[in-house]
Amino acid sequence: MLTLIVNGTPRNVDVAEDTALLWVLRDHLGLTGTKYGCGIAMCGACTVHVDGLAKRSCVTPVSTVVGKSITTIEGLAANGDHPLQKAWIAEQVPQCGYCQSGQIMQAAVLLQKVKQPTREQIVQHMDGNLCRCGTYQRIVRAIERAADEVGP
Amino acid sequence: MSTSLSRRSFLVASGGLSIVLLADGVIKVASASEAPPAGHALNAWVTIGVDGIVTIKSGSAELGQGVITALPLIAAEEMDADWSKVRVELVTHDAKTHGNPKIFGMLYTAGSTSVEAYFDTLRRAGAAARRVLIHSAARHWKVAPSRLEAANGTVTHAASGRKLTFGEIAALPLIGDVPAIKDSDLKPRTAYRLIGHDVDRPDVPAKTRGAQTYTIDMHVPNMLHAAVWRAPVEGESAATIDDAAAKAMKGVVAISKLPEGVAVLAERWETALMARAALKVEWTRQSEFRSANSAETLQADMKAAHEVERRGAVWHERGTALNNIAAAERVITGEYATDHVYHAQMEPLAAVASVGPDGKTAEVWVGTQAPSVVLMVATQVLGTTPDKIRVNLLQMGGGFGRRTMFTRELLRDALLLSKQVHRPVKVLWTREDDVRNGWFRPATAQVLRATLGGDGRIQAWNHRVACASVMGYYSAENLERAKNRDLFVMEGSELSEYEVPHLLAEHVITPRRARIAAWRGIGAGHNEFASECFIDELAAAVAANPIEFRRRHLRHNARATAVLDRVVAMSSFGKAPAGRAHGISLAPYKTSVAAGVAEISVDRATGALRVHRFWAAVDPGLVIQPRNLIAQVEGGILWGLSGLLKERITIEHGEVQQSNYHDYQFLRMSDAPEVQVEIVTSSAPPSGAGELGVPMTGGAVANALFALTGKRIRHMPFTPDRVRSLLA
Repeated sequence: MLTLIVNGTPRNVDVAEDTALLWVLRDHLGLTGTKYGCGIAMCGACTVHVDGLAKRSCVTPVSTVVGKSITTIEGLAANGDHPLQKAWIAEQVPQCGYCQSGQIMQAAVLLQKVKQPTREQIVQHMDGNLCRCGTYQRIVRAIERAADEVGP
Repeated sequence: MSTSLSRRSFLVASGGLSIVLLADGVIKVASASEAPPAGHALNAWVTIGVDGIVTIKSGSAELGQGVITALPLIAAEEMDADWSKVRVELVTHDAKTHGNPKIFGMLYTAGSTSVEAYFDTLRRAGAAARRVLIHSAARHWKVAPSRLEAANGTVTHAASGRKLTFGEIAALPLIGDVPAIKDSDLKPRTAYRLIGHDVDRPDVPAKTRGAQTYTIDMHVPNMLHAAVWRAPVEGESAATIDDAAAKAMKGVVAISKLPEGVAVLAERWETALMARAALKVEWTRQSEFRSANSAETLQADMKAAHEVERRGAVWHERGTALNNIAAAERVITGEYATDHVYHAQMEPLAAVASVGPDGKTAEVWVGTQAPSVVLMVATQVLGTTPDKIRVNLLQMGGGFGRRTMFTRELLRDALLLSKQVHRPVKVLWTREDDVRNGWFRPATAQVLRATLGGDGRIQAWNHRVACASVMGYYSAENLERAKNRDLFVMEGSELSEYEVPHLLAEHVITPRRARIAAWRGIGAGHNEFASECFIDELAAAVAANPIEFRRRHLRHNARATAVLDRVVAMSSFGKAPAGRAHGISLAPYKTSVAAGVAEISVDRATGALRVHRFWAAVDPGLVIQPRNLIAQVEGGILWGLSGLLKERITIEHGEVQQSNYHDYQFLRMSDAPEVQVEIVTSSAPPSGAGELGVPMTGGAVANALFALTGKRIRHMPFTPDRVRSLLA
């Protein structure tokens, strides 16, 4: 039995130590907002925060995050009203929506580090997150909007 | 999404306006006053609850294209409904009533057809609903219906100031017949309050919170997880299975042989994956596809494309192209090719099935473009009838053609396994499974031939596409019924915008050596790449400017001229910054017209091609939701650019050589150009836009490369190795 701190709450899971955090979140804890896309850290759909850093949960053995603070899209903001989530709605970013949890989690880390990122900084930071619907342009606009809303 | 008909509500239908009212358990039917239009049986589309909730049925499913916004909005417009009270209900069974008239009357979402297919039906249904509401209120108030107005979910009698909401009217005693809807009863475009005005998509908030449920997210009580190891080559199955190690793992429930593979069923998904990796399977190794090699197949197909005496299946013909070409002194020939490409939709395929104890009933959960195929598969596999199958349609993490006929194998497996173990089963394909068992856009070999008149205009045109038949793979019977006319391969080869008097587009059908399918843009994606490059070649042959040469063939085509002119202006065509060049493509999709311009540069040392900017002008007829339409075209453009810059599936010894996003890469944010899309307004009826961005990309980029380097790239994708050898 391992104890994980997920979205601020301790959760016990009966799982092998090398299980990917992704499957623990999705199948054991029912937090399906974190998505499976590739399983090899090439698409970013499974991005979560571990102690405030963006992590690809599909290649993160669960034993390596015991005792660390894990945040998923469900825990990003209490009411789903993080400035990025509001900006995503304002810009009507999602199409199929499947990659967007990972996109938002990845972007949230950028805004933690850089309050007013340049377009180049945004592209560099977001380049590991794939979107097959082609919403990249709107993702950039939404990040810029959220940055403007929060202010420097 | 479901609708309760408890308490009192009524169903309104159009096409003769049959009205079904359910009140206190009593059902009364006012019979239809006229027969529904031929080809599409109109029936109940709109339900109004006493709570004021208006539920509108959708025969199309949501895969990110925004159809659950656009379709109900059409009915709500004519109905004058309060948009905040409108809900959508996806139809799972009744294809006879709600099937897509553009796709054989099936419940089938594909080919950018949804708005075009359902527009007229839904606006008539909405107008009929409005009329019933008006007449009900009129009788209640004992005034003439003509004295009443409806707006925003409320009926008003201006003279007395009295008002009733739609929900309040739904609670009134029922009325009898009302006059049928005539064309003149429908709103003129100038009266639209919803159509043409952006509303927020209802599915967006959940998609920002991780709260949208896709098939992969489904969990039903007592469910098992199935990982399926499928034969590496089509047509093979497991000869021997050593499952000792897998079976010994805690949590493994069963190992089961399937028609094309072996399934591991486990309590947990990670266990299923681990146990699958511990299987030892020998495959039958006798398939004819063992020798399949995609490069060799393309070479053979190109040979067939060049054998001009070998007639293909006629897709489109006007005039006497072959005679003209045979008699001409000078025939210009161009050769083009495209490789296989994979959908790479972000959500891998998944299906959940729960078969009842009798083995004849089932509930399934699946995100699919083809509910009709779900029913077909489930009834066939269980030997039962559609009424015994409960279908839950989920939103799709991308479709792009991947979630159409696939259900034949994936859903079949889920049903077979659930029936066997008497528990609900989720079959999930890993990304590797999804790539290796992909159904790809066919690789095409294309030969174009043309003759030019003394006036510098095209006289005759022959477009030959050699590849296997997608339609024939889906259903040999359908291909025969369609007289070998395969739209998946041939659409977009009609040269529909240009005045070319003599034209023959033909499909040289060659043996199938890969699993093939529709891919966003279908035939137009590969065909308009070839035809728009060839148009540029012909322009060069008569030393004409590519824009002027196109205009020469558009003298009576105002819509095409308008998008061409617009995109030329948007891009300042031909005035690219130093080191870059522009290329243009005029690329319709069905009856939507569009033109695009790419601005590119190339690194001559590496062969890396970069698209810096892309402009598009589109005329898809009446636009239901402008912002979403532009988003769709943007997405289509990036899709097309991704395919032509990066994507390629290869097959050797019958096995797909790629397996995941490391060796099948698609466009990342840093690869994406700045895209600008403008709508050119016309009076045309609504058409499609989900694929409209795709066909323009190939020609625009290839023509830009020619403008930059004087070299024609003829084989898609335009990978650095190909570009480098072209420029060497």
